[in-house]
Amino acid sequence: MLWQQLVNGLTLGAIYTLLALSFSIVMGILGILNLAIAELFMIGGYFGFTLIAANFPLPVAVLGGMAGAAIAAMLIEKIGYQPLRGAPVVTPMLSTLGFSIILQNVATNFWGSDPLQLPDEYLGRQYTVGPVNIGQMQLIVVGATIVLVTLVAYTVQRTTIGRALRAVAENREVSRLLGVSADRLTLFAFALSGALAGVAGVLIALHYGAITPYLGVEIGLKAVAVMVIGGTTNIWGALLAGPLIGVVEVLTVAYGGSQVRDFVVYGFMILILLLRPQGLLGGARSDQGQRV
Amino acid sequence: MSTYYASLFAEAGILLLGALSVYIILATGQLSLGNAAFMAIGAYLSSYLTVVVGMPVTAALIVSAIAAGIIGVIVGFPALRLKGIYLAMATLGFGEMIRSFFINFPAMGGSGGFHGMAHISVGYIWAWAGGILVVLIVVERSRVWLEMQAVHDDETAAGLVGLNTVAIKVSAFGIGAAVAAVSGGLFAHHHVYIEPANFGFERSIDFVLATILGGSTLGLGSLIGAILLVFLPEFLRPIADWRLAAFGTLLILVLLVRRQGIVDRTLLRGLTFRKAAS
Amino acid sequence: MVNSNGKKSMLKVKPNPSRLLGTLAALAVISLGAGGASAQEIALGAIVPSSGPFAEWGRSNSVTLKMLEKQTNDAGGINGAKLKITILDDGAKPAQAASSLRKLAGDEKVLAVAGPLTSSAAEVTFPVANEMKVVATSQASSKPGVAKLNRPWAFRNTIDEGVLAKTTVPYFKKAFNIKTVGIIFDAKDATAATVGKAIMPAALKANEISIVNESDPLSFNTGDLDVSAQVTKLKSLNPDGVVVSADYSQAITVLREMKRQGLIKPVVGATQLISSAILKAAPEIPIIAPATFFATMKGEAAEKFVANLQPLLRKESGLPAEIEPSMYDANIYEIVSMYIDAIKRSGVTGKPADVEADRAKIRDHLAKLEGFQGLGGPIGFNDDGDAIKAFYVLQGQNGAWDTKVRGCSSAPNHAGC
Repeated sequence: MLWQQLVNGLTLGAIYTLLALSFSIVMGILGILNLAIAELFMIGGYFGFTLIAANFPLPVAVLGGMAGAAIAAMLIEKIGYQPLRGAPVVTPMLSTLGFSIILQNVATNFWGSDPLQLPDEYLGRQYTVGPVNIGQMQLIVVGATIVLVTLVAYTVQRTTIGRALRAVAENREVSRLLGVSADRLTLFAFALSGALAGVAGVLIALHYGAITPYLGVEIGLKAVAVMVIGGTTNIWGALLAGPLIGVVEVLTVAYGGSQVRDFVVYGFMILILLLRPQGLLGGARSDQGQRV
Repeated sequence: MSTYYASLFAEAGILLLGALSVYIILATGQLSLGNAAFMAIGAYLSSYLTVVVGMPVTAALIVSAIAAGIIGVIVGFPALRLKGIYLAMATLGFGEMIRSFFINFPAMGGSGGFHGMAHISVGYIWAWAGGILVVLIVVERSRVWLEMQAVHDDETAAGLVGLNTVAIKVSAFGIGAAVAAVSGGLFAHHHVYIEPANFGFERSIDFVLATILGGSTLGLGSLIGAILLVFLPEFLRPIADWRLAAFGTLLILVLLVRRQGIVDRTLLRGLTFRKAAS
Repeated sequence: MVNSNGKKSMLKVKPNPSRLLGTLAALAVISLGAGGASAQEIALGAIVPSSGPFAEWGRSNSVTLKMLEKQTNDAGGINGAKLKITILDDGAKPAQAASSLRKLAGDEKVLAVAGPLTSSAAEVTFPVANEMKVVATSQASSKPGVAKLNRPWAFRNTIDEGVLAKTTVPYFKKAFNIKTVGIIFDAKDATAATVGKAIMPAALKANEISIVNESDPLSFNTGDLDVSAQVTKLKSLNPDGVVVSADYSQAITVLREMKRQGLIKPVVGATQLISSAILKAAPEIPIIAPATFFATMKGEAAEKFVANLQPLLRKESGLPAEIEPSMYDANIYEIVSMYIDAIKRSGVTGKPADVEADRAKIRDHLAKLEGFQGLGGPIGFNDDGDAIKAFYVLQGQNGAWDTKVRGCSSAPNHAGC
């Protein structure tokens, strides 16, 4: 059972990683908590779901969910973040909350509040390795997470646009001196973050086979905890913290603590914040925080 | 006033106290996303005191406020280590932990909820809410508030000029927690039933929303914000299925048009024609 | 019109036909009123969650009520008066439900209210019903004792889960030869947690079924996506059957995970499981749950109700194309039908001056109601305010619900079903 539970934990961890990364791109670079990410995840899931239900192949569904969520994220940036750039961080956070309320309402009106389900398991094949059962979709979720984290890390650390992003994160003024358009970079960061949330949404909707407009709420808060534990300034932090929290959760349940699971996770987050505010893999700068 | 409007005003009074609890902590530059936890502590403790111990409601509210205040101070110390959005996330975690605690606390009904409180009137709620607001408005004109503002604006400088920044920040947390607890106690005795789901992240966010929408530089802002948040969804009823989307849209619009909140000192001066005098 | 030339325009008033008609109508009302007959309009209210996580239920409830309103008025109204149902959305939020009741009873002067839907909303709304002295009847709350705490004005057209489990569990045991079960429940949902922690364990023990995870309750929270760890644990304990105590949309998550992990064991639960959506989650897993109504139910009244309502539901925007009437649509239809029956038979006048007396008449009529013809048989109320009505233990498998046992929530000193 333990091995099977570890597989469960790693799958859940992969989901946390993707969402935490989505939060941390906006958080690490712009210092704001985009509360609508949970709903971008949900909207991405619905787009992917609709495409799969219309018999499109998986890659099309993933791209569809990704594009849908990225476009929504860019709208949020244009309307809800850009005009509020100079305001204290709590103001744009609340405007993203406004978008999350709108997105939930839109999803309820278009797809209903009842769970939308796939008629059968998508890619339902199971592989048995010793005492452990792994589903094909589970492998795709974990594999896609590793690929996506690597891609994002490469983009941020090695490419020109990534270097520019980090310059903006350090100092908006400096980036202007370097001739980089901070506004366009911010838009790019939102789109990238939205795209990740969208992919996560599609994969998860297909893995669990059911989706509701409130899909993102609980998991969104958990992903914030994962982001904090991993460290907001290091891309790889999410890849470490996601599976860590996934496994901690799963083992808490396995050893008799399903009722105190959330207590354990959030307690762990607070402990990390107090002992190592920059997160497990964060650099030194992040504990400064912006004024609220 | 019809009983329907009276109940909305009761809600607004409860939300006003929640918003003020955020406002007081925010005045020292600390953002709390977990004040629903202090509200829960106040709601559960005061209900226990009135229902099980048999204390009068006013005494129960005072005891709960003091208890939550002490817990607030205890939370305030580790909070000193954190700044900005990181503190916000730690308080968010604290809120979720307390909610999880009450779900697993069978003595007070767990997730099944707790009953038996005697109903209180809207007048009683506003005696508390109005009283606390007036005290706060008086404090806003005092030296203490200037010191809090100094910590908010530049903590290092405030420390250099000899202010005890630790005491200021920790007491703000304690007082904020006490005010949230009063809000919780009033909530419990207004609705005469409580369950952990009443005190989730959504509630904490409502508090912050009321503070910021109304204007976070004045206690009066929380009043405007609380009234707006309670009445707006009611006035949006005619659009039925799109009610929440419209609410979200208006929320964004208000933030875009008045990022400093609906009321601030400039507006207040304009309204009271004291511009010439100053 | 009231301006500086008001005088002039007053002089210009000429008799016009529509105004004349209006005056005649007003005179007619006055004369009818004086003659002791009833008012022009009978006002009833409803509180349903048309936004938020239960939006689908609230919206289909609204369609049901509009249908009933039209049916009643097309058939000549109530004692000649038109029926008007004011429907308010509470978003499944307790505070909004309570203030909605105040609006309906205080401002709209309705004679009785149907709703609210959830137990959490009922917990805070029923005390207000007592304060305002107006009947409120929930269409879905089944958490034990919610109406009992708020007599005499609170009613529920539902059966307490404790009563239902006493019939459901023995059938489950017999049908699948169950000796051991594992329990998994939604810890955040008040009704589901009560059923999972207290009601089901008691019913299982009474039937000598042992609980494999008795010392280690397995729970999750509303909104959780992943219950893989809980299901893996259940699987390792290898029970004969599984108790899933959760609202159907959460139960779907559990069932899909059970299917994914190959834990194909019969499932038993409370009325919260009944829905058409849950049948699609894992068609090969049999689901046993009690219900007072389901869309494919036999019987003249039920079939007619479905035939009338289904096309209207499917036409409504904001509802899925393949939606079927739910148990809660049937319940709210019965609630308002009972109110109409009470108004017709207990001398309710509907006049503004009589509103308090009318409300009390409706309450008294409901309290001693016996044999009201509901969609699934006769309905009455017990001393706790909960419905005495027929229920069915259903087995859901391969996409359809099937009736297995018919029961009755009879109570001492009240007529049965």
